[in-house]
Amino acid sequence: MNSEKLKGNLDLLLLSVLAAGPGHGYSIITRLRERSAGAFDLPEGTVYPALHRLEAAGLLDSTWEVATGRRRRMYRLTLTGQESLADQARQWRSFSGSVARVIGGTA
Amino acid sequence: MRAADPVEDYLDRLLLTLGGSPRQVRHTLAEVEAHLHDAVAAGIAAGLPEHEAQAAAVARIGPVHAVTGRIAAFSRPSAALIRRTALAGSLVGGVALVAVGVSGAISWLLAIAGGGTFLTAPFPPGSYTRADCARWLAADPAAHSCVRAMTDDHTGEVILGSFAAGILGLAVLAAFWWMRRRWQDRSTLTALPVGSAEAAGVILAGLVTVVTLGTGIDAELVQRGVGAGRPFSLAIAALAAAVYFAIRLRRMVRLRAA
Repeated sequence: MNSEKLKGNLDLLLLSVLAAGPGHGYSIITRLRERSAGAFDLPEGTVYPALHRLEAAGLLDSTWEVATGRRRRMYRLTLTGQESLADQARQWRSFSGSVARVIGGTA
Repeated sequence: MRAADPVEDYLDRLLLTLGGSPRQVRHTLAEVEAHLHDAVAAGIAAGLPEHEAQAAAVARIGPVHAVTGRIAAFSRPSAALIRRTALAGSLVGGVALVAVGVSGAISWLLAIAGGGTFLTAPFPPGSYTRADCARWLAADPAAHSCVRAMTDDHTGEVILGSFAAGILGLAVLAAFWWMRRRWQDRSTLTALPVGSAEAAGVILAGLVTVVTLGTGIDAELVQRGVGAGRPFSLAIAALAAAVYFAIRLRRMVRLRAA
């Protein structure tokens, strides 16, 4: 998939992945790749500025935890993040439904 | 010699590029380091040799600016890089100024041995006035001609100016030593490749040696030695500076290899 399109929707994708449970950077990108069956395969480093931005906006919260002998920064959705996810998901469904109708109408 | 470690190299590059507070820098670096080690472990578990797994992990995480969120070319240089550049500049600049001071001492000796015209060429006729002559002769009553008084005056100015540059160089080197003691942190010390200041010093001092030596030889051959002393004294001092930088560079390369 076009990486620019992907980056435009990265916030929604990250919030969706984290809605299933907290995770650190590597696990988030792995879950994103698995849930998209490999379609969303962007440079892994791009998740970090997005995660930091979402945390600064109050949509995520992070804590440092030790897992398998290594310090990891675990991210989880805040209440504001859950509300934002619901709102963004609703907008996306509406947009993608409209696009599907248009494409379907011209096919 | 140590084998290259793509993960370590990537983290070094990231450290130099990251902006923000020290805490933000530490946290991002720790996150990315954990990420890369997880990716390497996954690669090894999938059957890759360790070095290939490291290279694959670095390739998958993407360029450093993917992590920092800004294009590297437009990012502000890190404080560590600025500090390291200041250290390198003050070392090279300080030694260069001290070398000019040393060349003044050599010029002084050459003027005693070879006379003022060996050190500096007199101004061409017509480029000075009677009033200039009167001023030079008043300052140097022992001189029996205007040309001699002019040459003595010019020689004195060259030597005095060189000594002033040497004193300034000592002050710059004192600043270098002060800064080096103050900025002993690893990020500053690794912000530029080891020995880069010394290598720049060798190249610059070497170039100055060649150019001034050539100018001196030209003056010796074409103008029968008139004005040859100053470029020769600069060439000797520049050569000494080049040797000093070369010795420092050799020591650093040896320490790096150890």
